[in-house]
Amino acid sequence: MNIIQKTRKYSSFIDIAKFALLVGGIAWLLLRGSERVGYNWQWYQVPQYFFTFEDGVFVPGPLLDGLWVTLEITGYSLVLASVIGLFTALLRLSGSRVGRFIARVYLEVIRNTPLLVQIFFLYFVLAPIFELERFTAAVVALSLFEGAYASEIFRAGIVSIKRGQWEAAHSLGLSSFDTYRTIILPQALKRILPPLTGQAVSLIKDSALVSTIAVYDLTMQGRTIIAETFLTFEIWFTVAAIYLIITLSLSLVVNVLEKRSGQEVEYA
Amino acid sequence: MKSGEVKKSKELIIDVRNINKIFPGPIPALVDFSARVHRGEVLVVIGPSGSGKSTFLRCLNGLEEIDSGTIIVDSIPLDDDEKHRLEIRREVGMVFQSFNLFPHMNVADNIGLAQRLVRKKNRKDALATTMDLLHKVGMVEKAQSFPAELSGGQQQRVAIARALAMNPRVMLFDEATSALDPEMIGEVLEVMMNLAREGMTMVVVTHEMGFAREVSDRIIFMEHGSIIEQGETDHFFLSPEKERTRRFLEQIL
Repeated sequence: MNIIQKTRKYSSFIDIAKFALLVGGIAWLLLRGSERVGYNWQWYQVPQYFFTFEDGVFVPGPLLDGLWVTLEITGYSLVLASVIGLFTALLRLSGSRVGRFIARVYLEVIRNTPLLVQIFFLYFVLAPIFELERFTAAVVALSLFEGAYASEIFRAGIVSIKRGQWEAAHSLGLSSFDTYRTIILPQALKRILPPLTGQAVSLIKDSALVSTIAVYDLTMQGRTIIAETFLTFEIWFTVAAIYLIITLSLSLVVNVLEKRSGQEVEYA
Repeated sequence: MKSGEVKKSKELIIDVRNINKIFPGPIPALVDFSARVHRGEVLVVIGPSGSGKSTFLRCLNGLEEIDSGTIIVDSIPLDDDEKHRLEIRREVGMVFQSFNLFPHMNVADNIGLAQRLVRKKNRKDALATTMDLLHKVGMVEKAQSFPAELSGGQQQRVAIARALAMNPRVMLFDEATSALDPEMIGEVLEVMMNLAREGMTMVVVTHEMGFAREVSDRIIFMEHGSIIEQGETDHFFLSPEKERTRRFLEQIL
């Protein structure tokens, strides 16, 4: 083992020690703080809010119910946001002046107003007019919001495809539709999968805001449990950890995808 | 091909009259440019870089819009009608300097795609044509390879096969060998030479003068977007009339 390797091993040991010290310090401060406010930790209470067994039958608790709703909202919104994003990107790249204008207005409005206000606007203003359910309003609001950002990702991906690809397709007599479908989008999608997955992570986090219109997602369930039991610290820790687990696993997927697509770009 | 194995007809395939094309910038790309190509003829366009050779070629299948003038290809006018543009592109094959193969498809799919989508052939017929063409360009064993796995010369031969798959009336070659390493130029030129021998109508932009001389029936020498001189190949190379042509030929021969 040479000196460089030794140093490296030594310095990574120091790193980990520092990290452990920091985490320990924060935990200690937290415990001290909670003692000071006289907080009574009752972690043993938490599992029952995940699930219980009644007569040997598995019964999901409010946290699992909430997680399911969060995943459902995220799933629907992801599909809808992708469709909106792709459509807006194509509109912005189209030859139609009106189309480009409409896409531009949509983007600017969505990106320059708070998501919370958009959710309220949809739920309190548009939902009664169009007779939308709470859940639907939440999905539409999130999709419109994330779709605006997704469209920029789509656009960047489409624009990144070399002009020669268009010219080759056109000179073969392919229609614009076929060119997009068989040549441009398959190549663009491969490139934008990592940033698009990153957008999905944002979507999961942003979905917590729908609890404000009383959609019983993970966050709303957490609030309800706390209101009934005053397990404030335990439940918020738990809820945050659940979000963290979902988003970290997604990020892990992103990393793998990025590594793979990075290799492909080299010879493309 | 000047050896005359294939009888040339008087049928006009390309009829370009007085086209003008202005790019943003001080130098116009094409000025009052006219040219005609008959069936079975091989026309080679030469000239210094920036003379408008490629622009002329790209106007022929509507990759570039012209500002004025008329272009008629295979009796179809290239006008604002999108249908005409698509029809012309179906009859005109184009080979690019940078190959432009589709990197996400293997060689067979690159060649089969337009046959199925544009010519509406079924998978089996398309594959048969594809294999015939791969045989022709000597790439049969690479049918399942992806473009990134091929050398430049191999990619260009596949690109030629891809254009031929549409069974075009005329083939355009836009500096097809300029991006190739020297040792690969020969294999591509050979494929082009064979095509010409079979009687394919071709418009070729190239810097390969030996090849131009061997393959072409007629030469156009252009500069600054207009034709300086044109004529039958032998006459053009042996006794060019314009001083500018002589100087250009001296430089490159």
